[in-house]
Amino acid sequence: MMESLLQTLLNGVASGGVYALVALGYTLVFSVLGVINFAQGALFSLGGYATYLLMGGRIGVNGAWPGLGLPVALPFGLALLLAALLTALASLLVERVAFAPLRRRGAEPLQSLITSLGAGVVLVNLLQILMGAEGYAFPDGAGALAGLPDMVMLGGARIRTIQLLLLAICAGAVLLLSLWLERSRGGKALRAVAEDFTTARLLGIDSDAMVRLAFALSGVLAGLGGGLVGLSVSLTGPYFGISYGLKGLAVLVLGGLGSVPGAIAGGLLMGLAEALVPADASGWRDALAFAILFGVLLLRPGGLLGRVQVDKV
Amino acid sequence: MIDNGLLVQMLLGALLGLSVYLPLAAGQLSLATPAFYAIGGTLAALLSTRWALLGGGVDGSLPVLSLLLELLLGGLLAGVLAALLGGLVLRLRGIYLAIATIALVEIVRVAILNLPFTGGAVGIFGIPQPFAEASGYLLPVLGLLTLAGWFCQRLEALPLGQAMAAIRDDELAAECLGIDTTQVKLRAFVLSAVLAGATGVLAAHFLNTWNARQGTFDASVATLAFVILGGSRTWLGPVFGGLLLTALPELLRPVGDARLVLFGLVILLGPVLAPQGLITPALLERLGSLGRGAAR
Amino acid sequence: MPSDATPLDRRQRGALRLAALLAAAVGGIALLGRRADPAAQPLPPPAAAGGALTLGAVIALTGNANLYGQDQRLGIGLAERWAADRARRDPAAFPRPVLLSLEDGASDEQSAIAAFNLMLRRGVVALIGPTLSQQAFAADPIAQRRGVPVVAPSNTAKGIPQIGHFISRVSAQSSVIAPLSIEEALQRDPGLSRVAVFYAQDDAYSTAEVAIFQKALTAKGLRPVSVQRTQLGQNDFQSAITAVLPLRPQLVVISAQAVDGGNLIRQLRELGYRGQIVVGNGLNTPNIYPICQRWCDGILIAQAYSPDLDTPINRAFLALHRRSKGEAPPSQLTAQAWTAYQVLFEAIQRLQRGGGLQGVSLAEARRRLMTELLSGRYDTPLGPIRFSPEGEVIQGRFFVAEVRMGPGGRDGKFTLVRERSLEEGGG
Repeated sequence: MMESLLQTLLNGVASGGVYALVALGYTLVFSVLGVINFAQGALFSLGGYATYLLMGGRIGVNGAWPGLGLPVALPFGLALLLAALLTALASLLVERVAFAPLRRRGAEPLQSLITSLGAGVVLVNLLQILMGAEGYAFPDGAGALAGLPDMVMLGGARIRTIQLLLLAICAGAVLLLSLWLERSRGGKALRAVAEDFTTARLLGIDSDAMVRLAFALSGVLAGLGGGLVGLSVSLTGPYFGISYGLKGLAVLVLGGLGSVPGAIAGGLLMGLAEALVPADASGWRDALAFAILFGVLLLRPGGLLGRVQVDKV
Repeated sequence: MIDNGLLVQMLLGALLGLSVYLPLAAGQLSLATPAFYAIGGTLAALLSTRWALLGGGVDGSLPVLSLLLELLLGGLLAGVLAALLGGLVLRLRGIYLAIATIALVEIVRVAILNLPFTGGAVGIFGIPQPFAEASGYLLPVLGLLTLAGWFCQRLEALPLGQAMAAIRDDELAAECLGIDTTQVKLRAFVLSAVLAGATGVLAAHFLNTWNARQGTFDASVATLAFVILGGSRTWLGPVFGGLLLTALPELLRPVGDARLVLFGLVILLGPVLAPQGLITPALLERLGSLGRGAAR
Repeated sequence: MPSDATPLDRRQRGALRLAALLAAAVGGIALLGRRADPAAQPLPPPAAAGGALTLGAVIALTGNANLYGQDQRLGIGLAERWAADRARRDPAAFPRPVLLSLEDGASDEQSAIAAFNLMLRRGVVALIGPTLSQQAFAADPIAQRRGVPVVAPSNTAKGIPQIGHFISRVSAQSSVIAPLSIEEALQRDPGLSRVAVFYAQDDAYSTAEVAIFQKALTAKGLRPVSVQRTQLGQNDFQSAITAVLPLRPQLVVISAQAVDGGNLIRQLRELGYRGQIVVGNGLNTPNIYPICQRWCDGILIAQAYSPDLDTPINRAFLALHRRSKGEAPPSQLTAQAWTAYQVLFEAIQRLQRGGGLQGVSLAEARRRLMTELLSGRYDTPLGPIRFSPEGEVIQGRFFVAEVRMGPGGRDGKFTLVRERSLEEGGG
């Protein structure tokens, strides 16, 4: 009994960690702009593919060009970091194309839902054309894990070593980000903009630069997430980031829009709830996540750790 | 280029666009349309394949009158569900409402997938046909669209429509004016659901088959794109957006593998280039004064 | 600006005008769109301009099923090359030129319907596709109503040929092949008693197949200790696997699509499962190797196609495949797509040689082609096949293979373990 409880906990934390990472990507942008970046899932995919390519992975271009790849083969850690930076650039591009023109005009936030979705559709389909539809797996062990066992036993509960690594990096990234937001000048400026766009400007903070910073950081998170999940479960096709994007969206709202601790708590809670679904009802697992979300919203319209919502659309 | 099969799909798209437009006209961003669409479709699929009284023949035909009955029942079921849920959901605002309704869509999808009588992953197939050809569907679909369009046009002059517009402009002010905002929002939500449910009934017959994949998150966003690209300030916007965006992937077939990239570019650049959508009130005003200006 | 109207009036008038304009446009399109199918037109003789018959292929090149579509596009393309080559060498035996028209049917019902309609408008004589069974339930009735033969290369759900007379398939239902791999597993370990089953519950293919697996298990007196439902596109199976492992299964049966199943196998092995694994036909593609890598080793699968089949036609298929894809062995989907093209091509040629396409309308040609198709026997890469009167494929040979991964753990091979000749009509 204890064992299975521990196992459930471990399972929940393992998937919840990734959910939290995805949700944090949304959170950064949302806290600054009050909008959701629907391209986040596609950026997640991009991060996975970029990591794979930088590690020397070969792609098929739908069979048209088998064995194509970059002339480099970096170790996993380096490839992951570079891919995260690359995804940050892509995220900045998304900001430039899908958000900046609308913001300058003071358009309804609704419209950026659509433009960012369009950016996501373009990105995913470009990935498919360039990379092909087939699944790719990172080289076995991916350098970081070579020589380690496949699995670790913790008090009778099992977890894959890759999952532990993933969890550790997720936790590290989240911790760094929180510290940075709390302590550093840049982080404080970002929070000031998140608090109040206009006042921040009066205080002499370059709010546009802060918006770009938020996008870049959320791109880094998407890139990290994509690369790590890719390592754990392979790249299952260009659409693989999209489902994480959707889950992340649920987590984002569950925890409270724009709240960093909320996103983390929401992610873990969602992961745990899913892990608790008994096998007989596993078909309902996806509904459970959204049912919880639905319930929480009705009881606490601002999410678990969100502030009481303000009257604006 | 466009055959009648695609035309029917375009018109169904226009109907879904209107369904998203109605709550939006009262300032409520609800993405629940695919959930009610899925419910309507499932009802039609179940009724026409399992209920002999409807007269679904062994040759796969169905009396047109039965289709009308299904339309009524589908709209009614969706409307009743919306009335029950609306009271809960509509307390939420803005993006929270949007996400809660997305959650609703996912819950309905998983439910249709898991319920014992909806055919699981394969869904329900062999749905009886009221018409032998795609062209036959034009009549009911156009009829429903005309009815819905006429209603939306009339709405602008009705107290309900004016109250909706007032809430959209400023909910607090509308409340101060003595408008029962909860009631008005609920009505818009129910109307939207009725329309989506009825559209689902037509779509189930048109598609010959029905399964859980018909109402998904993707559909939520696609229908929202109809409204945003077409224009959310007048009912003609979503209609135009629905027609255009449903046809676009098909019209882009000649470009082959890149067609979805181009489709994405259109929804990416649409709001950037036409911030109010393609059909705006200003455009309608200009169109309305066109003849007069020339006559003078 | 006219002063006699308020902006509201003007806007209303404008709305009415625009609505009228849209209605007129819809009416115009509807009028034009009526002429949908050139079925009544007479078929020109083979040598005349436009004398080539068009085969339409509607397969998933975008959306979630595009991975299968890519394999199928390859198979159809290879078959086309092979057929053209044969026709060039022996024009008398292949008197009717055949063209291929290929469209993306995406992965949803709406796109499949639109693509089918597009094909009918182009006047195709027969159709190959669509990729998914759910799409077939939507699009096939259209072809059936118009009397256009359809050969499905990959639909395996129950009830596909029953859509109508014009619908057939070359993809054997899992009911025929799935039990073979269970038998093999039991032969290897006759004492096994604890079986765990995983299947993708939102996938039409897997739900149909898993029912067959369950039946085969019951027939052997085995009741699963656990049945886990997974989702299409799911890639993290930690929860499902850790729920099963404490029950100490000796055999795991998986029915899922290729990439998902590959992930499941990898995670099962990583989490310490050492027993036998039997997988369904969704994993019958070399695309799983890069996903489950060295962990694929030893999994058992029953196949409708084996690259090891040593017949002239399969060697021709393998040679062409090698030329475009290198050393990677072809997948069953590719072989079945080839077969779909081949049976239609051969039926057309037989019909032409027998004079059945002389002076008939396109509609009549389609009808005769269907009859011809169902009555023929074909020697294909899948082995010898023919059709039941209903349009169900009757395949003589099936295979049980075991995956053997290379030393690097990146490339593998389905190694033939057993070949089974099922008596005809056994399906």
